[in-house]
Amino acid sequence: MSIQVFNRTNIFIALQYLSVRKRQSFLAMIGVLLGVTTFIVMVNFMTGVNDFLDDAVFNGSPDIIISATSEKESKNRGFVGLAGISEEKRNRIDSILKVDQNVESYAHQIASPAILISNSKQFPGSIQGVFPIQERTMVDLERRLLKGKGFQSLSKKNTILLGVSLANRLQVSTGDTLKMIVPNGNTIQLKVSGIFSFGITTIDNIRTYVSADILQDLLVQEKGITNVHVKLKNRDNVRLKIALTSAVDAIDTEDWKENNKTIVIGNKVRDILTWSVSFALLLVAGFGIYNILNITVIQKRKDIAVLKTIGYSSNDIVFIFLVQSIIIGVLGSIMGGVLGYILSYLISTTPLDTSDFIIVETYPINFKISYYILGFSFGVLTTVFAGYFPSRKASRVDPVHIIRGL
Amino acid sequence: MILEAKHINKFFLAPEKQQVLKNVSLSLNTGELVSVYGESGSGKSTLLYILSTLDIDFSGGLEIYGQNIKELSSQELPDFRNKHIGFVYQFHYLLPEFTVLQNVMLPAMKLNKKNKEEVRDDALVLLDELGVKEYAKRPSYKLSGGQQQRVAIARALINDPSLIIADEPTGNLDQKNSALIFELLSEITNYKNKTIVVATHDSKIYKNSHRTIEMIDGVIRL
Repeated sequence: MSIQVFNRTNIFIALQYLSVRKRQSFLAMIGVLLGVTTFIVMVNFMTGVNDFLDDAVFNGSPDIIISATSEKESKNRGFVGLAGISEEKRNRIDSILKVDQNVESYAHQIASPAILISNSKQFPGSIQGVFPIQERTMVDLERRLLKGKGFQSLSKKNTILLGVSLANRLQVSTGDTLKMIVPNGNTIQLKVSGIFSFGITTIDNIRTYVSADILQDLLVQEKGITNVHVKLKNRDNVRLKIALTSAVDAIDTEDWKENNKTIVIGNKVRDILTWSVSFALLLVAGFGIYNILNITVIQKRKDIAVLKTIGYSSNDIVFIFLVQSIIIGVLGSIMGGVLGYILSYLISTTPLDTSDFIIVETYPINFKISYYILGFSFGVLTTVFAGYFPSRKASRVDPVHIIRGL
Repeated sequence: MILEAKHINKFFLAPEKQQVLKNVSLSLNTGELVSVYGESGSGKSTLLYILSTLDIDFSGGLEIYGQNIKELSSQELPDFRNKHIGFVYQFHYLLPEFTVLQNVMLPAMKLNKKNKEEVRDDALVLLDELGVKEYAKRPSYKLSGGQQQRVAIARALINDPSLIIADEPTGNLDQKNSALIFELLSEITNYKNKTIVVATHDSKIYKNSHRTIEMIDGVIRL
């Protein structure tokens, strides 16, 4: 289509047609508006949930966990021995992790089953002994603290950090003391120095941090560790696992995808849902425009014939009709974007009655400008596409045929 | 000579192959009012559509203003028509979405030789000459048939074309309005020096035109 069809006269004619059919044009616009609004609200909400879960689960957990192969067996034998990673293996693992380009940071841990006892309750679980300086590079606990202090408080002896649900179950708060018993019967008094929440009940229910030194002393395992946690720069690239297992004997590696299958699948399902529902709605809006323009073209065959006899070319006619659908599309998309933002904002301020699974005060919503650009482009593209076919049909009207009255 | 048609043959393929125009040749001079009359089905409308460049699916030669119509591309053809040919139909065919004034302005806005104010002034002058200026701001569908036909003539004249083609312009009007339209057409040929071709059943028109062409079964008798 040449540039000369884009002129004031053709736009004037298009606007005149639109303004005469205000109601129909308005309804077509509402169709686009609803499509774009739904798209934006859904994308904002679904990616909001995805990002929230990513942040809570994946940033709260390591991307790869390295453990000794026999650890599970020893656990099954009733918490007696503790299968650690020997110092020699640890050094080999460290040397690989240090040079790997994709490793963001890593930390050693010693984990042990233990029973926590407060004044009124007791709770059996797995305790993580961490090296505070290393662990701070892995988990941003400061952001998730509800009370007390983070990892730096573990440098003082005899302190423990608890997940908020666990603290509630034990009926303790910061400053209270707990007794911890490890499988070999040793016990220790610990002071609660911090309470944190990841927003995910499954984590907040069981996670505890103590200093690795304490656990090593209690278990009489000087310098012993059971796991190495690794945080990756690009989480989707887990080839590091292969390098590790082939270089070091008798270790297991687990990545975040294996450990969080349900969440990974949940994210995928939400993505598919978002795109398919939005696409379906825009398709319906597109059909609405197609329909309206098609009927207009059929009703206006005489007018199109007249325009052609007085010198308007086929391209002019295509343009005149296409401009109508573009105007509908652009206005509908802009209004859809605004309404989408308003609804998203309202949802983001709506209190959420938390389930057991996640702990969050309001619905997580993602406000990204790129979603608005995408929604707008979608809306306009749909209308251009839907408008093109009736417009082409209009341009093919044969004036002789019409004037003859056939 | 403003228009020359040589050996024009035209076939309709549907519903069955049929020759509508048989070796039609004619030439038109500036300032002529030529009427074409004949029974319906005689091919006079078909001839008019060909002369007005709307139908280019024919064999033979057609030159208007020295331009061979067959040499124009599908892009150039509408521009040529816009500049050189005015068209008046039996059923006036004004665009109902637009006012009377806008209807008259549309061909000139397409031509884009003058700015909008000049076009508006030209249109108002024409509407005045044709006696319908007072309706300029009205939606075109609110006018009577005779008034609409006068607006259609104004529209045909707006780009000052040399050739005006009218297909049964009085076919849908009463006696009084028919006479008025015919007078207007005569005046346009005489005072504006236009060439007008009118297809008509109206004896008043063909008896009073400069030249009449009778069509019988696709053949013309000059």
